[in-house]
Amino acid sequence: MIEKTNSISQVRYACSIGALYTASSIPGVIPITHCGPGCADKQFMGLAFYNGFQGGGYGGGAVSPSVNASEKEVVFGGTERLRELIKASLKIMDADLFVVLTGCIADLVGDDVPSVVSEFQEKGVNIVYAETGGFRGNNFIGHELVVKSIIDQFVGSYNGEKNPHTVNIWSLLPYQNPFWRGDLSEIKRILEGIGLKVNILFGHQSGGVEEWKNIPKAGFNLVLSPWLGLKTAQYLEKKYNQPFLHIPAIPIGAKETSRFLREVSEYAGLDREKTEQFIQSEEKEYYYYLEHFSDFYSEYWWGLPAKFAVVGDSAYNLALTKFLVNQLGLIPSSQIITENTPDEYKDGIREEYRRIADDVTAGVDFVEDGYTVGKILEETDFGHKPPIIFATTWDRDVAKKIGGYIVEVGFPASYEVVIARSYVGYKGALNLLEKIFTTVIGRSA
Amino acid sequence: MGKINLKTTVVESREQRLGTVVAWDGKASKLSEASLYSSGCGGDGKGCELCEIRGPFSQGSVCSEQMVECQAGHVRDAVLIQHAPVGCALGQVDYNSLYRNGLAMRNQPVENLRVTCSNLIESDMIFGGSNRLAQSIQDVYDRYRPKVIFISTSCATAIIGDDIDGTATEYEEKLGIPVIPLHCEGFRSKHWSTGFDSTQHGILRQIVRKNPEKQGDLVNVINLWGSDVFTPILAELNLRVNYVVDLATVEDLAQMSEAACTVGFCYTLSSYLAAGLEQEYGVPEIKAPQPYGFAGTDAWIREIGRVTDREELAESYIAKEHARVKPKLKELKKKLKGLKGFVATGSAYAHGLISVLRELGIETDASLVFHHDPVYDSGDSRQDSLGYLIENYGDIASFSVSNRQQYQFYALLQRTHPDFILIRHNGLAPLASRLGIPAAPLGDEHIAVGYNGMINLGETILDIIAHKKFHEDLSQHVKLPYKKWWLNQEDPYILAKEPDLIETI
Repeated sequence: MIEKTNSISQVRYACSIGALYTASSIPGVIPITHCGPGCADKQFMGLAFYNGFQGGGYGGGAVSPSVNASEKEVVFGGTERLRELIKASLKIMDADLFVVLTGCIADLVGDDVPSVVSEFQEKGVNIVYAETGGFRGNNFIGHELVVKSIIDQFVGSYNGEKNPHTVNIWSLLPYQNPFWRGDLSEIKRILEGIGLKVNILFGHQSGGVEEWKNIPKAGFNLVLSPWLGLKTAQYLEKKYNQPFLHIPAIPIGAKETSRFLREVSEYAGLDREKTEQFIQSEEKEYYYYLEHFSDFYSEYWWGLPAKFAVVGDSAYNLALTKFLVNQLGLIPSSQIITENTPDEYKDGIREEYRRIADDVTAGVDFVEDGYTVGKILEETDFGHKPPIIFATTWDRDVAKKIGGYIVEVGFPASYEVVIARSYVGYKGALNLLEKIFTTVIGRSA
Repeated sequence: MGKINLKTTVVESREQRLGTVVAWDGKASKLSEASLYSSGCGGDGKGCELCEIRGPFSQGSVCSEQMVECQAGHVRDAVLIQHAPVGCALGQVDYNSLYRNGLAMRNQPVENLRVTCSNLIESDMIFGGSNRLAQSIQDVYDRYRPKVIFISTSCATAIIGDDIDGTATEYEEKLGIPVIPLHCEGFRSKHWSTGFDSTQHGILRQIVRKNPEKQGDLVNVINLWGSDVFTPILAELNLRVNYVVDLATVEDLAQMSEAACTVGFCYTLSSYLAAGLEQEYGVPEIKAPQPYGFAGTDAWIREIGRVTDREELAESYIAKEHARVKPKLKELKKKLKGLKGFVATGSAYAHGLISVLRELGIETDASLVFHHDPVYDSGDSRQDSLGYLIENYGDIASFSVSNRQQYQFYALLQRTHPDFILIRHNGLAPLASRLGIPAAPLGDEHIAVGYNGMINLGETILDIIAHKKFHEDLSQHVKLPYKKWWLNQEDPYILAKEPDLIETI
């Protein structure tokens, strides 16, 4: 194992200001970046373009207003320039809410951004700020900062009634995971199927800022990821006295999805019969397809892989590993988590892998540097057949070197065009199976 | 025009050297006049009377460090270290995609780039990040054994004041290879093309061979990743191509001082390096219009022929190509008849593309460039690409300088309603698409070069005109993020002229 240093090659996450895509993922929200001239473009090209070609949409891409700080803002401070930019943005841009995100320059020269933004807030403008200088952490950290900013500065306090059958969802990081849109749609669909009202909060199925205003009225929060969203849920618990349910593994495939729905149903006190009815109808369809797929899976002559590796964010890494082990019967060989998981969550995640199945345990490495990832994969014993590598564009070269099949599932996915595809739940699992095995048998094409 | 100063590690920015502007609007002839090309920048005491019209609004642009990634990060046997917090490292993703596609286009083995970030964190902002830089230098040396290590600076390192030059010198002695600091923090220059200059400055200082042995048939071609169109052209003159900087090896860069001359596809990109090679090593830069359209290409080939003593070969190639291309062009012009185009690219490159559009009989009465250099580093009027365009192909009624400002692009498109746009750099085509206008993204920057470039570009335009069906359909189903007030504005620069407008919502 290579000794860990500060060096990052083959970058696998953005910096805090990458959370401008957290903001732009909420319908009607436009981010304003208070940073140098290239910061927003780097996040745009990295997260929204060469990563599934997801597109900047309404408020991201080349749309987002930016200070494009020059020497003047460094030497004399940038608050005047920010004030002017906000005024001009209000004049030109049509948004329900603006989110100001700061970069390294503003945070280093000590611009008093809170006071500039509060001038506008006091006038009733829908605007919030988050201090997201890149040296503060990555876009996972930035995401939670932006979420908290919107809750504190826009949603505000609430003491009224709650609807026990309404849930706020905190799950995949928008844009970082190229499949977030399709996946959140599937998560919303299945939860509505068992009778919940769902505040999905990000993506086209979110009701935008009105939905965010309704966050405090939900009966509970569902954190559907190994750790991202936990801080938010804990904060909401304190702020609105709102309980949360934490389920680390996003369900993929009927077995895991049905188990997931039963757990949520019981937690929320939903009608058990209705839940079972929904599960039954979903499983009927799922297994209809699987029955036909099984002809291929049981007797395709030219060899199918037995072992696999997953390289990527803990959310997809855990979800995929669970599905591949428990529902496809594949053998985990190397699981590498790359998002710079905060230390306090690592043991919990290791435990999830340790008991990945009744009869299977898996180890997990936490690595951020791509060169090191490559070395680990090269040194892994994948046995006598080519493995499947679920990873990113960075890992194509090493997959080729070891003769494996590559399925790009995470940032950056520069050789995938992703529009509405999902890999989770009932429907997403079928897409995933199609993707995996089209890739595998396509090699001889 | 001052001399290129290679004494310090820090390059002078474009605006300092050339008087570059990033916001301007008017007729092309007016811009050309204001640039006072013939008398040189400031030569007659009037200076460059180019009034920049920058307003209170701006959208995310592009920075110099990105251009360093795109050049220094793409030298095949070197490694670039980004001394920066991890956000700067995001560029690794897009420049990897460009690198891989570029390698494929040039029939090289496709592989990941090796750009590595020193990953500065909060404590480094207080205590300095030099030890992290040192570690990353050692890491990339141990991992890849590169022939050269480049170091790019960042806004953060410039503010905290890390001694990058000191660390570079220390490791250059320790490792025995050039370790080259490239000062390119984004806030230092208002235009990203300073990043090109920064890379080229470092290469001139620390890579180019100081005691060259002349290779009389070698031509430096300063380019990016474009397809290999220069080899067949220059082979007609018995000349060999030395492509730099992207996809080059360190040896390719070192031997630049041995070449017979230097050319490029775009003076924005090649200005600094070509002038530096001439000044320091006597390698002549070809001072001619850029190789676009008949007029430009003829003059360009002739000048190469003159400088390399191959005038007869040049003339016979010109005659041969005219005879070959003209009938094809005639056919193509029939198909393109009635179309209106709009160019939105880097500065000098746009001058070339507009020439080609006009050769193709495509109406081009409006265009935008991301910046404007009143003069290039040679200071030679034979390189006045804008003046040459106007002189040979006529004026451009609406010629705007706008550093990738999408909100202005909207109003500019309303002026002319083109059938298509030609673009480089991302972010403008998505708006055109939402307005029902297709764009040809010229990822292969060589597509329009030379005689055949006219055919290539014409065919590319026919391809993308067919896309119109997609974009028109989309345009019926999207809402733009701009307010009605802005969408009804006719002047894209109104906020710069009347900044008080922002005081009322």
